[in-house]
Amino acid sequence: MNEHESVRAMLPLAAAGLLGPGELRRVEEHARMCELCRTDLETWSAYAQGLRKLPQPSAPAGLMERTRARIIQQHAVAAGRRRQSWLLGALVAFGWMSSLAFWGVARALTGGVFTVMGVNWVNGVAWSLGSTVLAWTTAAAAAIMLGRSREMRRFL
Amino acid sequence: MILAAAMSLEGFTGDREIARLRKGDPDAITDLVGRYQHRLYRFLVRMVGDPATAEDLFQQTWIRLMEKIGSYDARRNFEAWLFAIARNLAIDHLRRCRGISLDELDDSGQAPVERLVAGGPDVLSQLLDFERGALLAAAIEELPAIHREVLTLRFEEDMKLEQIAEVAGVPLSTVKSRLHRALESLRTRIEASGKGIL
Repeated sequence: MNEHESVRAMLPLAAAGLLGPGELRRVEEHARMCELCRTDLETWSAYAQGLRKLPQPSAPAGLMERTRARIIQQHAVAAGRRRQSWLLGALVAFGWMSSLAFWGVARALTGGVFTVMGVNWVNGVAWSLGSTVLAWTTAAAAAIMLGRSREMRRFL
Repeated sequence: MILAAAMSLEGFTGDREIARLRKGDPDAITDLVGRYQHRLYRFLVRMVGDPATAEDLFQQTWIRLMEKIGSYDARRNFEAWLFAIARNLAIDHLRRCRGISLDELDDSGQAPVERLVAGGPDVLSQLLDFERGALLAAAIEELPAIHREVLTLRFEEDMKLEQIAEVAGVPLSTVKSRLHRALESLRTRIEASGKGIL
């Protein structure tokens, strides 16, 4: 690529103001001697000038207020979700702690042996399995009841 | 000196607003939205071409900003970060709704006359500016999104190469070549239509 072609390739960026001082000097020096590049640079400059003066889409009235209202609404929803997560975590912890405490009491009362259908229910493994099944069943029932109550509220 | 003082004041105000946002104060967003509403909305209109979608993306941008403010690095340029969030949402929207590659063309349309901003040295030059602007705006709408993006960031937002690279998440050399191709493509389209802007 000769100097003319090389400078010609730089003309759009020169008009966009994106050349370094050295490159810009090179373009200017060449354009002084080359009419073709000078004319082309003028055209590119007209494009750059036109791009800076495009018809402006103005922000619609009330944009700020609507944005603020949506942010506040979103903020409230997120805070509600966070609260629900904390509540769920606390309930799970409470459930396991209760189960553990009740296991200790049951073992103390039964002397560590309470057999029904050939299974010792105060044994550690059986107790934790039973607690897990009970917890999941209770959670499923609560979820169904909560869902029905929400549907009912929406209907009303 | 006055300029430096003004800049430092602006930086200080921004930092204070960001600190308030970090504490989860939604009122702090009002000043920031007010400061950037015209520029950000204009950028989104250029990106998606539809005012209603631009407004929805504008609101989503601020919601996303509130969600991500905790991870914002204060050493980063806030403006570039904000525009990068808006840009990513616009790109996601274009991908999702139009199902097109970012290099493909989108629908073209005419810029409405009522958007002409009053001003200019006189009526004739204003009219010429408007005609030139309308011609360019229509040609820009036909360009691929990645080209519309660099053109609006450079010429309307007056961003430097480094800022554009930060917004678009690409290296400086890519920004340069995209701008070069965008300008070449714009000129080719306008010249092919038999009109000139000079």
